[in-house]
Amino acid sequence: MVGGAEKWVMMVTAQTPTNIAVIKYWGKRDESLILPVNDSISVTLDPDHLCTTTTVAVSPSFERDRMWLNGKEISLSGGRYQNCLREIRSRASDVEDEENGIKIPKKDWDKLHLHIASYNNFPTAAGLASSAAGFACLVFSLAKLMNVKEDQSKLSAIARQGSGSACRSLFGGFVKWIMGRDEDGRDSLAVQLADEKHWDDLFIIIAVVSSRQKETSSTTGMRETVETSLLLKHRAKEIVPKRILQMEEAIKNRDFTSFAQLACADSNQFHAVCLDTSPPIFYMNDTSHRVISIAEKWNRSEGGRRWHILLMRAQMQY
Amino acid sequence: MAVEAEKWVHMVTAQTPTNIAVIKYWGKRDETLILPVNDSISVTLDPDHLCTTTTVAVSPSFDRDRMWLNGKEISLSGGRFQSCLREVRSRASDVEDEENGIKIAKKDWEKLHLHIASYNNFPTAAGLASSAAGLACLVFSLAKLMNVKEDQSKLSAIARQGSGSACRSLYGGFVKWIMGKDEDGRDSLAVQLADEKHWDDLVIIIAVVSSRQKETSSTSGMRETVETSLLLKHRAKEIVPKRILKMEEAIKNRDFTSFAQLTCADSNQFHAVCLDTTPPIFYMNDTSHRIISIVEKWNRSEGTPQVAYTFDAGPNAVMIAHDRKAATLLLQRLLFYFPPNSDTDLNNYILGDKSILQDAGLEGIKDVEGLPPPPEIKDGIPSQKYKGDVSYFICTRPGRGPVVLSNKKQALLNPENGLPK
Repeated sequence: MVGGAEKWVMMVTAQTPTNIAVIKYWGKRDESLILPVNDSISVTLDPDHLCTTTTVAVSPSFERDRMWLNGKEISLSGGRYQNCLREIRSRASDVEDEENGIKIPKKDWDKLHLHIASYNNFPTAAGLASSAAGFACLVFSLAKLMNVKEDQSKLSAIARQGSGSACRSLFGGFVKWIMGRDEDGRDSLAVQLADEKHWDDLFIIIAVVSSRQKETSSTTGMRETVETSLLLKHRAKEIVPKRILQMEEAIKNRDFTSFAQLACADSNQFHAVCLDTSPPIFYMNDTSHRVISIAEKWNRSEGGRRWHILLMRAQMQY
Repeated sequence: MAVEAEKWVHMVTAQTPTNIAVIKYWGKRDETLILPVNDSISVTLDPDHLCTTTTVAVSPSFDRDRMWLNGKEISLSGGRFQSCLREVRSRASDVEDEENGIKIAKKDWEKLHLHIASYNNFPTAAGLASSAAGLACLVFSLAKLMNVKEDQSKLSAIARQGSGSACRSLYGGFVKWIMGKDEDGRDSLAVQLADEKHWDDLVIIIAVVSSRQKETSSTSGMRETVETSLLLKHRAKEIVPKRILKMEEAIKNRDFTSFAQLTCADSNQFHAVCLDTTPPIFYMNDTSHRIISIVEKWNRSEGTPQVAYTFDAGPNAVMIAHDRKAATLLLQRLLFYFPPNSDTDLNNYILGDKSILQDAGLEGIKDVEGLPPPPEIKDGIPSQKYKGDVSYFICTRPGRGPVVLSNKKQALLNPENGLPK
């Protein structure tokens, strides 16, 4: 039963990190449920530097669901938002805020509307995967608001329906998105391989490259690759599964040499299948190539023990 | 038996075209014999615009084999040159030059030395596959000199040992390099699919892209790809064989839509496996990508492809247009986005068949500056131009195979002493 004054507002604010895939997700086997053609593994980045903050609020005085992103109102009518809202709402349970005397029984949730405000502390134009952090935060904060009693992996399966890579932002440290086999996607979710303390020597430097180019969206791009690249099937079926196992081992053992070889090779292969798409997709430009050359030359240069230690402390992600 | 005056010089001058692969060769299964991991198909370019000219001379007065390339003496000691020389020499037969009273018996050839001078009419730095034309010309001219009685395909198997893609320059028109199965490579050779007249509507525009980059050599690049790319095996085994059959059909039927789709897809896949190499190889740069975008946008707006593009181991774009009209419209687009520097004469900016400029209504720089944006650009945003990113363009067409040049003025060696003129 709802509390007396119908103007009450109940809110939860949460913060979610973004993540960078080291074994890449590129290609769906189901567009609506966002089910991938292979597993992926990511490193979660420190939310002190890059994060999404989201406040979700519920009140009987709200007439409709509304959302503001970085201060600007946006539409929630798209399929991805609707999926996330529906999935979370259907798992809502009783909520009691004793301090403010608010009680929301399970059955009331589908009559109540939400206000959502989200803010990224990094520019959207920087191409730093804001939708991953954003959808993860939306799902996480709503789950807290609605007292959803699901574990983090189950929540990741919901975030996945907003944006594939969002599912990996439900955990810190090193995360794997298991592709799953079920048609309904219930087993396509993220698990934590190791937390952020497991390998805390690593440093990450991101070079935000100036670009006037309008990028092909990931959603469109990966669909075109699935439809036209003859190399992608082979990658997904024969190559990635082995790399996933090797990468899990490398993370477990803090084996930087293997980690680096796999991360670089998989990044390059992802861009290779983009090039093998019709029409070809070029995400990297001459500056990206120069950064790679610098890193490759340095990695290969003489240095012995010192080289090894340097690499432990500074990892150039590309 | 050699003639009395031991100072005679017997010479042959020949000219060979270069070629551009439309289904790519990238990766060897045998480094010494130069045997590839898949078939490849190429278009031979018109030697009027791009060619190698080679003069080979023999004389009892020569004390060792020597070669000059573009006027500079080079070493013949490398394995590739030695393989070609050995293979042609072993097939030499009797030669009689009645006019000059010279007779060379088959057995004399191994005691005689050669002088070779070769010249490319296009800059080596332009990345236009000069070794293909060069080694093809070497083998062809030596075979003529030594009266080798092998057919063109057998000669191509010899040229192959100098430089893989050289084997395809032994024919004009459309050529296939059959990968072969034999360990000794005797069945790895080129055959002609169709001659240069079969599809002579096609017009080819090459954009020579400015690049300060030192490229990874094809030889080391493809070896690294074979050793490290997990995608290459799949390409060679599963993908290329089907594309070869489809490309042969497309050429036979003059089906430009299929030709263009296959050409672009195979160029992109070649660069994809280069990217999938450790360390990754980037042959295309931002300018190459922009050219691809320009062509892709135009092709899609027209519904059927007007132009095919392909890139080799470098940033230069080779664009094959459906016909003269498409080539003209293409050139207008290219010049719109890549105008020459203000101090450049248009005559030095378009080489080869310069008459295409007239077809495009472009007499001077002012006409280039007056070009409107392509109609398929609808977003109303003023287009960015990239002045100076292309060094120059070459306009050419599919062309004929190697020929002997009988005009003595074209010889690169002095007939008196066998030294470069």
